[in-house]
Amino acid sequence: MPVMNFAQALRDALRYELAHDDAVVVFGEDVGKRGGVFNITEGLQEQFGEERVFDTPLDENGILGMAVGMAVMGLRPVAEIQFVDYLWPGYDPLYSEAAKIRFRSGNQFHVPMVVRSPYGGLVGGGLYHSQSPEALFAHVAGLKVVIPSTPSDAKGLLIASIRDDDPVVFLEHKRMYYALKEEVPEGEHVVPLGKARTVREGEDVTVVTYGMMVHETLKAAEKLEKEGISLHILDLRTLIPFDGDAILHSLERTGRLVIVAEAPRTVSFASEIAAFVAEAAVDLLDGPVVRVTGWDMPFPFKLEKHYMPNVTRIARGVKRALSLLP
Amino acid sequence: MEAHKRKGVPIPIQPFTEEPLRLLDEQGNPVVDFDPEEHLGLSPSRLVKLYEDMVLTREVDRMCWLLQRSGKAAFHISITGHEGAIVGSFYALRPEDWINGYYRTPPAMHVRGIRLAEIFAQLMGTALDPLKGRQMPGHLGAKKAQSFTYGSGVGLAHVVGMGMARALQYRKTGGVVVTYGGEGSTSEPHFHSALNFAGVYRLPLVVMIVNNQYAISVPRTQQTAAKTIAEKGKAYGLPGFYLDGNDPLIVYHVMRQAADRARAGGGPALIEALTYRLDPHSSADDDRKYRSEEEVKHWWERDTLKRMRHFLTLKGLWDEEKEEALKERVRLDVERAVEEAEAAGLPRVEELFEEVYGERPWHLTRQWEELQAEMQEQEGGH
Repeated sequence: MPVMNFAQALRDALRYELAHDDAVVVFGEDVGKRGGVFNITEGLQEQFGEERVFDTPLDENGILGMAVGMAVMGLRPVAEIQFVDYLWPGYDPLYSEAAKIRFRSGNQFHVPMVVRSPYGGLVGGGLYHSQSPEALFAHVAGLKVVIPSTPSDAKGLLIASIRDDDPVVFLEHKRMYYALKEEVPEGEHVVPLGKARTVREGEDVTVVTYGMMVHETLKAAEKLEKEGISLHILDLRTLIPFDGDAILHSLERTGRLVIVAEAPRTVSFASEIAAFVAEAAVDLLDGPVVRVTGWDMPFPFKLEKHYMPNVTRIARGVKRALSLLP
Repeated sequence: MEAHKRKGVPIPIQPFTEEPLRLLDEQGNPVVDFDPEEHLGLSPSRLVKLYEDMVLTREVDRMCWLLQRSGKAAFHISITGHEGAIVGSFYALRPEDWINGYYRTPPAMHVRGIRLAEIFAQLMGTALDPLKGRQMPGHLGAKKAQSFTYGSGVGLAHVVGMGMARALQYRKTGGVVVTYGGEGSTSEPHFHSALNFAGVYRLPLVVMIVNNQYAISVPRTQQTAAKTIAEKGKAYGLPGFYLDGNDPLIVYHVMRQAADRARAGGGPALIEALTYRLDPHSSADDDRKYRSEEEVKHWWERDTLKRMRHFLTLKGLWDEEKEEALKERVRLDVERAVEEAEAAGLPRVEELFEEVYGERPWHLTRQWEELQAEMQEQEGGH
């Protein structure tokens, strides 16, 4: 199997789908000739032409409105929003149209579109190039939300998202684009939506996480292993719909739950997982549920390392779940 | 006008005029010498049918008000006064074209091939409603009629319609998308995004602004400092046509030319049809708070139906007898349609949970089970 970084794996997925389905079109700011500011779509316009892969005006409302319109007419648009921090002019077509069209039209129309967008911090990007607003999509009935953590999953989940018949918000941690490499299956490779991945087997504490925090949690697991604490790590991969069964199965073994995510804590997706377990299986819990998250503040520029969840914060959270720390 | 009397030569139209283009004056007399068949491509029978469909649309609207007032419909948003602009523009389109309507288009949707019973079913949310009772009245759309469903967000039809036009262009169907909105919709970002993208990609899109001079209570002068809405097209590199929207013939003529130009790859167009909302904004509005009875009366005297009837009479195509027969016919058609719509009963509850996503995810299955238990308890309690 070829070794690919995150960016190459995403490009491979786009190339594969463009080649196999003429309903797939890819567009956004700078995605054409420039290949995107993160070079994810590099070479695709050259290969597939300007009708399939094209630049748009600098207008997220136009980009997502266009994607909705194309999708209801049977195309499979893959729209890139350059940074998820800039999506908001396009939130209206996403929230008011894409998410609701199947339902409101009595199933006459549906919206098979994907919004790809980089999210996440630790890139020196300040308030407006670093945020993790997944909860603002996960809250919207009718949308699906996918966040891959490895190159192989990035490819397989993107292909599954493009083939899905409902709108998918697909968030990619920008710090991982060129930082991670692994073997990625060539050609057809589909990772089904809604299934979590067991990243690491463990006995003491279940850690539910997604995106780049999977890797930070792995580092914390190594540190805690030396202290005699064993983590069971689940990578959600899909936030909506999330894999509730995988979480409950794991808790049958560990009885302890920590959720790790870099988004601010209050009304976060981490809170949803905590609430889900509290409602569905409080009897499985032997200790407090702990959310390890970013802080409830705008994302800071110079002091971002103090904002981001890190090995220490995760380890402290695990110890709180084990009632080893107050 | 002599030059234009040759067969097949359309009456030329100019974009960006300061006065609205028209073929008929406020009473319905022709302002230029033209023949509907030769110059507009409207045969006498189609001309009569256009008028009949406008009258039917008004009758549908009247019945919608009655159903609202009697409590059978939750809400109504009137088309009265806009029939020339809306029905006239529908007549200009071809079967391969799509419309993305707004809340005033539903009473006219029979022109697009939606049955009258379905129009009333949508109004009342019965099982015959293509939207399955999910939407408030005034949001009808049907795929079989190439008419997209309306959300409630003003202006979104323009930006989504722009994307629909991009799809038609990509698939080379030869179809055009027409999006509808009031002049208030031109203040929303969606209008600007739609025109900007459509201009850049030369999309087969016509943005149809039905300027009825009020966005609920806010007058047109408070909506924009521009002299016309149509001139906004200039900034996006596309023609903007300012028309008398109570003249169905100029609406038909300009829409047909704009659509044909767009389908031939000539690019998008903006149309502003100036009309007047003869009723309150909706069944929830009290228009006496912001406009005078004299103003409303002034516009009733210029009603689009009157004009069209006058023109048909001038042409020898209409008389009192035909008018009476038509009124009787549409009254019966509408009554029968309401009966059918009401008889359909309520939409199914379980479908609510099936059609949020293509496949029902587990968390919605759980919620459906919760609701079923709740419903069982409610039934048991009665």
